[in-house]
Amino acid sequence: MRIYEDLRLVQSRLAMLQAVVVLLVAGLVVQFWNLQVVRARHFRELAENNRSRVVTLAAPRGALVDRKGQLLVGNRPSFNVVLVPEHALNLDRVVARLASALGMGEAAIRERLARRQPYRPVVVKTDATLADIAVLEARRLELPEVSVEVVPLRSYPLASAAAHALGQVGEISERQLQLPEFKGLPPGALVGQAGIESRYNRELMGQDGFRRVVVNSRGLEVAESARQPPSDGPNLTLSIDASLQAAMEAAFEGRSGSAVALDPATGEILAMTSTPAYDPNRFTTGIEPHEWASLANDPETPLMNRVIQGSYAPGSTFKVIVATAALEEGLITPQTSFYCPGQLSVYNTVFRCSTPGGHGVVDLRRAIQVSCNVYFYQVGIRLEITRLAKWGKLMGLGSPTGVDLPFEASGLMPSPEWKLRVLKTPWYAGETVSVAIGQGQVSATPIQMARVAAFIANGGRLVRPHFARQAGTPLPAPVVRPETIAAVTDGMRSVVAAGTGLRARLSSVEVCGKTGSAQVVARSRLEKTPNARAIMPHGWFIAFAPAERPRIALAVLVEHGGSGALAAAPVARRILSHFFGLDRPEPPAAGARVDATDTED
Amino acid sequence: MLGGVGIDRRLVYNVDWVLIGSTLVLSLVGVAMVYSATHAGRQPELYLKQLALAGIGLVAMALAAALDYRRLADRAVLLYVLSLMALLYVLGFGPLIAGTRRWVLIGGFQLQPSELVKLAAAVFAAKVFSEFRQESLGLREVVLPGAAVGLLALLIAREPDLGTAACLVPLFLAVAFLAGLRMRAVLGLAMALVLSAGLAWPMLKDYQKTRIYTFLDPSLDPRGAGYQKIQSQIAVGSGGLLGRGFLEGSQAQLGYLPARHTDFIFSVLAEEAGFVGVLLALALYLLLLWRMLETARLARDRLGAFLVAGVSATFAFQVVYNVGMVAGLVPVKGLPLPLMSYGGSSMVSSLVGIGLVLSVRMRRFAN
Repeated sequence: MRIYEDLRLVQSRLAMLQAVVVLLVAGLVVQFWNLQVVRARHFRELAENNRSRVVTLAAPRGALVDRKGQLLVGNRPSFNVVLVPEHALNLDRVVARLASALGMGEAAIRERLARRQPYRPVVVKTDATLADIAVLEARRLELPEVSVEVVPLRSYPLASAAAHALGQVGEISERQLQLPEFKGLPPGALVGQAGIESRYNRELMGQDGFRRVVVNSRGLEVAESARQPPSDGPNLTLSIDASLQAAMEAAFEGRSGSAVALDPATGEILAMTSTPAYDPNRFTTGIEPHEWASLANDPETPLMNRVIQGSYAPGSTFKVIVATAALEEGLITPQTSFYCPGQLSVYNTVFRCSTPGGHGVVDLRRAIQVSCNVYFYQVGIRLEITRLAKWGKLMGLGSPTGVDLPFEASGLMPSPEWKLRVLKTPWYAGETVSVAIGQGQVSATPIQMARVAAFIANGGRLVRPHFARQAGTPLPAPVVRPETIAAVTDGMRSVVAAGTGLRARLSSVEVCGKTGSAQVVARSRLEKTPNARAIMPHGWFIAFAPAERPRIALAVLVEHGGSGALAAAPVARRILSHFFGLDRPEPPAAGARVDATDTED
Repeated sequence: MLGGVGIDRRLVYNVDWVLIGSTLVLSLVGVAMVYSATHAGRQPELYLKQLALAGIGLVAMALAAALDYRRLADRAVLLYVLSLMALLYVLGFGPLIAGTRRWVLIGGFQLQPSELVKLAAAVFAAKVFSEFRQESLGLREVVLPGAAVGLLALLIAREPDLGTAACLVPLFLAVAFLAGLRMRAVLGLAMALVLSAGLAWPMLKDYQKTRIYTFLDPSLDPRGAGYQKIQSQIAVGSGGLLGRGFLEGSQAQLGYLPARHTDFIFSVLAEEAGFVGVLLALALYLLLLWRMLETARLARDRLGAFLVAGVSATFAFQVVYNVGMVAGLVPVKGLPLPLMSYGGSSMVSSLVGIGLVLSVRMRRFAN
């Protein structure tokens, strides 16, 4: 081996290698400068997103209690299975495992994941069963990114009782998320979807709190970095009397219809029912599509609140308005009499009375008592439609009552202006004759007719029906003379004492009422349900009691009940007898003179 | 006797204390980072193992330094044959761990022969090229030695361990370059490499292709192959100028950082010590590499210069590639960071490599 080798080339090339190394390291430094100094804030945020997870602490919605403090709607603890997709290393595997653990379809889970917000937990399953939780606990190590939250879930202990009034909660819809009133709510939030739950949603919701926790890469919580406790929604006391409500539901004995009872002095709603009803508990965790379809497509429309959404011809209950109008306009006095031969021929038409033989000479009191059509034809002809419409509207027809429920119908109080505007035809005088007995174009909701009963009961004041105290309005001044009220009350008293409303009579409390039957004009409905019942008229009964200083006013409508006298008055009697504590069965009013046939009203 | 052991005063006089010092500091920083990455995990005692391995490695380094590299180079062919046998044994009988055969089990220890093969390849290449006497080399002269080293790389790549196999490329190129390979040939070789990479593409396994795709666009698969790159960049970037503090890096401590005590140990350092810590660590590595290449320049013979160059090239490649990977500049590949990553074979191999460099410098005036 030579001792001295020529190393000049080696050394010059080594210098090149040294330069390359320096350049490479310098390049690395530039990149670290870029990452750690220039973009440090961006990466700090990403690191923060990685490690922190926000857990919503759901605020329990305020409970709904009745006027005596009984719980109507409350909350129960339930378990939600939640997942933060960002923390899943292999989301497909997690979804597959979850689907098998919970017995759900993968598509259903993916659908929920599709609506998520970044780094927010996604509720995969609401109201999971204890069995679900046990399965998840057993597979904890396989599914670290899945956790179980305890959240308050709405519960309706009375099930279907007052379901339409109370309403229900449900997951917020895509459309609702866009609305200003639901601003700031996350997808999956439970909000009121009907009834009082919807009307007072904001008040009841309270403010959700949150926990910000530090989680490791496997999704396990290692520390809590911040916490804001939820503030519970305040309880809401309703005017409902749960006991009366139950009696009202029972009074229908399974028939379709609706009823509402008011405190005539304030407009507070004591009970409201619409049958058939549904169980709002089915909605709280997201109703199954087939169950929803069967409710929505049921010809008996269980989802509809008939009290405020059902518009019916008021039938003879409308005579209370006609009588009031005629007395106030000075067209009649209580003593004014007409002769009833059983029919009236006017405007080339024969208008029939309820009793073929006629009622003979009738004054106002008797006309109301026996529900004489001819008397009210005569009065209606003299009033004419304009004044009739004016009084109908004064007594609350044709516009919503303002009850604190969503989606209230207006009903219709027809007038010549209305007909010209909507139907583009002039008013015919003959139509007034029909309207005078509550048929023809006029229609009203049960709550409007309950308000008419309250109007007579409280001396001529139009109250606003309501459930929550804050929705009440100061009692308005009477808009009619006391003499008018006295005369109409006198007639209504005799209806129950010895007239068409005999079946609503109570042993110890004097009840004032008025029967009515609404002819079913909708032929389309007849075609859908071709049976005899479908063409039976609806039975109405409006009432208040006691006659002196009334404490309750109500309207009852039994769909296809035939007549108010036969169908609706007994229902009203059951409600009233409960209200006055007379629940024990009474002997039938044997021996009482019934001088009108049961079917005529 | 394989060289005089520490008796010659001139040998002691030429010990590169700067190289040893920076090696020690980097190894200790590595132990600290291993502690940070694992203290809260299932194996909190790994840093002690790393410390013990560093101790073993330092002894091995001292032995390698004491060894006369010329005596070692005399056995270059034997080392080469032993390397081949070891690699064939691993491929044939090594245990299958995570889909790869890289290790042999000896007395409860996992040994990675490819780490030591790198050193053997350096000795082999240095010996072969030091035997050439021409002033300049053409492609023809480097084909045979290239094929020999390439065979080793191929066997390592079959394990598969592309990272370690790739280390042999800069090793061979650096030695050939110093040996006088003509610039034209250097460029030709570079082109050949690019071409062969193109030809190798269809032979790559799917996961390897995915890695390259997701390197180019990590958002393609943020939960899969892109995950490591994204998480490492988050760790590095969130470290900021001064770092989150020792044991305070959320990416490392909460486990978001993959392979944080092995291939991504530098991410832990970047997160917890920040840009300042990165600068210091890179400065130490640069110092170390600079001293190694200085040793090559000072070497008394071509053999010494080539040996140091081979070792340094591997070392430099690993540092630059690993740190570049941590910073998201190059695709993720299993390649440990010399002196810092947890792992016995890598630690011992790095320290023995440094021992060989020390050996060359110590003997710059010796006969």
